[in-house]
Amino acid sequence: MERELISKKDLLELTGISYGQLYRWKRKQLIPEEWFIRKSTFTGQETFFPKELILSRIEKIIHMKDDLSLDELADKLSPLLYDIHLRKDELMKRNIVSKIVLERFGSRFVEEGAFSFGSLLFLFTADKLLQNGEMSMEEAGMLLQTLGEHFAKLQGKPCDLFFIRKMGVAAFALLVMPGELYFESGVKIVSRLSMMACIEELKNKLS
Amino acid sequence: MDETKLPDLTINGMGKASGGNYRKVEIEGIGSADGDVSCETFRANGVVTIKGNVRAGHFEMNGKMNGEGSLSAHSVVAEGHLNLRGRIHGDEVKLNGYVKLQGDCEAERFYLNGGFTVEGLLNGGTIDIVLYGRGQAKEIGGEFIQVQKSRNPSGWSRMFAWIISAFEPHLFAGTIEGDDIRLEETTADTVRGNRVYIGPGCKIARVEYVSELVVHPDASVTEQFRS
Repeated sequence: MERELISKKDLLELTGISYGQLYRWKRKQLIPEEWFIRKSTFTGQETFFPKELILSRIEKIIHMKDDLSLDELADKLSPLLYDIHLRKDELMKRNIVSKIVLERFGSRFVEEGAFSFGSLLFLFTADKLLQNGEMSMEEAGMLLQTLGEHFAKLQGKPCDLFFIRKMGVAAFALLVMPGELYFESGVKIVSRLSMMACIEELKNKLS
Repeated sequence: MDETKLPDLTINGMGKASGGNYRKVEIEGIGSADGDVSCETFRANGVVTIKGNVRAGHFEMNGKMNGEGSLSAHSVVAEGHLNLRGRIHGDEVKLNGYVKLQGDCEAERFYLNGGFTVEGLLNGGTIDIVLYGRGQAKEIGGEFIQVQKSRNPSGWSRMFAWIISAFEPHLFAGTIEGDDIRLEETTADTVRGNRVYIGPGCKIARVEYVSELVVHPDASVTEQFRS
């Protein structure tokens, strides 16, 4: 999918912030480095940003900077690198999470009619396994519960999701990487997913 | 971890250390560290090689330092020759001499006397550069950016500049963006800012400004736009 970009100049005009502010926010890591996309144009090198992401981020910074110092703000923003909220219809339209999953489990995660990046990630992961045909709907419910309960505890450390089955009974585990895990012989590893890869995949779909 | 229990690292003469966590690191003479160094204060006189990153509260060096990683410190004072493969991140960065960086440089206040090469972005709240030699940066961005030529170069440096062009005080940059920009002796593709002063010796292909642009008669600006 073609991502919509906005040039630095247009961004500053649109939001009314100055070059200095933009650079200062970058220094404070309020705006992630990956969002600065350099492209050649007929006027030379120019910097572009993923439009949707940067606009929501800047709005958030402007909104919060009166109450918080920039350093406090950085702490607040950085764990959820992608603090965007998408509505259900948008998700379906852009084919990020399938309709069935959204209808079945969406209501658990909706906050004020929208999904945060964190809950999107869970739904996206479940959707992925369902699409592979490896997991049943009931198991998807279990998976979402597991992720919801434990994923936040890992604090963004790279981890792998194990989906195992023994005698037809499914189980899930999250393993912080690097780590090793051995199973008894009756256990079948149905699927092993790197959550980091899932995050990257979802990021790409969103931007 | 209890901070007071951290050991000190002292090298006098010649010495080598593995990296690690220290309270104070003092190197006089020739010293090297094989890994990442993290400490409260870092002081070096002489020739230092660090095969990793340096993280310090206060960082001070005199002489020559080669680093294979990045430098991150609350305050950085460096005199002499600093060569890093990574980036510099600091609150206040004061550099005298020659600095070469393959990464970015980020500081709230950045002061430099001498020459430099930053292959990435030089990003600072206040950037104050006095050139005694050649400066080079892919991008410069910040709030207040000032580039000046040294006011009273010694006879020697004038002779060097005449013989070797690398000693000629001149800045080459791709893009310079900021709120308040004052430039001298600068060649750049694009300068964008709110208030822009283009001083003597500048060659700028394109200037975009918002409120004010002053161009010195000894400067050349090919295109200028007001937005």
